[in-house]
Parts: sequence; C-alpha cells; structure tokens
Amino acid sequence: MNYRTPERAEALAAQYVLGTMSARARTRFARLSRRDPVLAAAIRAWEDRLSPLAESVAPVEPPASVWSTILARIDRAAAGSTPERRTVWATVSLWRGLALAGFATAVALALVLLSPPLERPAATLVVVLAGQDAKPALVASADRNGRLLTIKAVAPLSPGADRSLQLWALPATGNPRSLGLVPASGVVQIALPVDAGTALQNIPALAVSLEPRGGSPTGLPTGPVLYSGPVERLY
Amino acid sequence: MAVDPAQQLERSARLMELLARTALADQTAFEQLYRLTSPHLYGVAIRILRESAAAEEVLQESFVNVWHHAGSYVAARSQPLTWLTSIVRNRCLDRLRKHDVDTVSIDDEDHAMTIADRSPLPLDLLLSGAEAGAVRRCVEALDAGQKQAIALAFYQGLSHSELARHLKQPLGTVKSWIRRGLERLKACLDGAGVQR
Repeated sequence: MNYRTPERAEALAAQYVLGTMSARARTRFARLSRRDPVLAAAIRAWEDRLSPLAESVAPVEPPASVWSTILARIDRAAAGSTPERRTVWATVSLWRGLALAGFATAVALALVLLSPPLERPAATLVVVLAGQDAKPALVASADRNGRLLTIKAVAPLSPGADRSLQLWALPATGNPRSLGLVPASGVVQIALPVDAGTALQNIPALAVSLEPRGGSPTGLPTGPVLYSGPVERLY
Repeated sequence: MAVDPAQQLERSARLMELLARTALADQTAFEQLYRLTSPHLYGVAIRILRESAAAEEVLQESFVNVWHHAGSYVAARSQPLTWLTSIVRNRCLDRLRKHDVDTVSIDDEDHAMTIADRSPLPLDLLLSGAEAGAVRRCVEALDAGQKQAIALAFYQGLSHSELARHLKQPLGTVKSWIRRGLERLKACLDGAGVQR
C-alpha cells in the first residue's frame, strides 16, 4: 500500500474512517498509523469530519447486563497490580489541589521525578506554564538529548470546542515559533525536529495562546496568551 | 443526539470532565460517562453490526478499553463523543471485516425489509443527520451516487466490494464515488468550499 504521498495518505485515512477498506487493507493501515503521526493525524481529522453524521442514529438503551459485565471486567483488572499511570495521575490531582502560586517549580520537579521512567539521566528541561493567577496549567518537559517534548495539563483547561491551545517557543529575539497544539487535559508528546537541548537553546520561555481550532492560520499567535513560563534547564 | 451548539458545548465539557475523572480511576464518573453515552454508542453499533449480541460485546469491549485508556484522550485533539464514537465504530468495523468473507448480504430481501421496518434508511439518516449545519449542507451537495455509497458505508459498514454488489455497480465506479464524495466533503467542510 503506497501511502507516501500526502494525497494518498489522506484518501486512505478517509476510507479507513468511513470503513470501506477490505479486512487486509484495514489491518495494515491501522498498523501503519500507529507508527506514523501524519497518518494518525489524518485519521483524527476524518473522525472529526464524519462523526457528526453518527448523531442522527437513534439512541438505543443497552441491556443492563452490558454495564454489569463491564464493571466485572474492570474490577477484575483492578484486583491486579495498580498500573503506574494511575499513580502519576493521582499525583497530578493531589498537586492540583494545592494550586498555590510559587509552587509551580516544585510541582514540575515532582512530576518529572515521579513520571516514569526514573532511570533516565536527569538532563531535563522543564517548563511550568501558568496563567495570570500564577496557577500552573501545563507542564512541559523533555530530556535534553531526546526529541520528544511531553506536555501535560495539570489543571482543567477549557479552550472551547472551536478553539485550540497552541504552544510557542519564544526566542530572545525574533518571532515565536509554533511547537504544536497542546491538550486541554491529559498528556501529549510533541516530536521536535532536533534534540530538545538544541531546539530550546536560546529559548528563554514558552507560551500557550488561544487559537482557532486546529491552530493559528498565520503561523504566528493570533489569540491571547493564556499561559507562559520560563524554560528551566536541570543540568 | 442532535442538540444545539450551546448544549453541545456543555455536553462536551461534561464528557471531558468525566473522561478526566475516569483517567483517575473514578468509577462513579465512569458510570456517568456510560449512562450518558452508551445509548448513542449502542445505537451506532447495532446499526453497523445489525445484531444485538455483537453490538453488546463491542460496547463492553469499548468501555473496558475506555476505562484503561481514558488518560490517552486528548481534549485539544477531538471532541469526547467523537473519540468515543470512533472507538466503537472501529471495533464494529474490525469485527465486520474479520468475519467478512462476503457473509454480509444486505441484498437479501428479508434482511432489507427488516432494516427498512425497524429504522430509517442510511440515506435518510445521512440527510437528517448532521444537524450541525455544515455537515448537512456539505452532504446535500454531493451527487446521488456519492451520497448513497457514503451513507451505506458509514451507517452499515459496507466495504467497497459489498457496496458494488449492493448498488449493482462496477467496483471501480463505487470506489470513485466514495473517493470523490469524500474529497468533496472534505473541501466543503474545511471551508475550501467550492462545489465543483
């Protein structure tokens, strides 16, 4: 399956979401999209476009047995060991409760230290992005030598359905550079073109602006800056 | 689940909150999420799978999956109901295709009648669907063949070859209806918006 041209990738993503692919093509495309963020993004965009069509389907109340089976299955899973994810999330919510100005860096450090994997060399970049009230809203972190910037929302953000939050690198001189869209909750990883140490060299701060859905159409921030924070280098 | 935009925003915010709490292993929030969304999702699954036992299984698997992966939902990327609907539709489609090998035949008179009896036809759904003005407007602008093929694929999970058989058209024709129909839908929805 040749999906290397953007047009082809787009057409295949559309057919995948609509559901017309044969079993083999479907399995293959699903596998490819797990490794390819461009395909994954194309799939998401098509889900956005087509899923409103599902709203005209009449709701049907499922039998009560469905819920009891779900409950039994998650209880059984919970009886095993608690997954790491829960611990990290629980920690986030605990810190969220504190929400005190000045605690920002402490929160960031706690997150970085508590997030797996612990064995990584601690050459870490951390940015705590806070709003006007100085409450931490997002934490960005990256391994100095890695190419992934991890963004985690640590407070509930509500950009609104037709808005996106966009992350910018603010250089000492010159225009802000977009780093990508950030989640209003949960966590997302942004791939950097080079290692984080180099990508954020001479970048004193990051900021998040409110943009039209999908991001700024101009390549520069168009909406208000909601959160910002200095880039801390822990090395 | 057709609602006005203000209600829709409120619903989305509510579902986002429930998903976030589900990620924290909050079972009460998870149950509320289930109560609010399962009738819609079950309706979608039944429509595609046309069999309640299979639809129940898909719904179960989907929600168990949501419980374990609610933390991977990224609100900036998609609406909560879109995310959930996609999980359910994907499982339905995977299931259909797995058992596929030409077993689905909605040419079967009996079956066609049962469906017509119980629920609106896919094309009617497509046109009544999408209260959201943009989708509806864009769907209406498609050619008849494109509309028909996209409706059958979206609501009933028909593959290219099944569509060809059902619509009594060569495979190439059906594929091009789908491809061109989707291209036009995209152009229209993305606001590049010139209809042919």
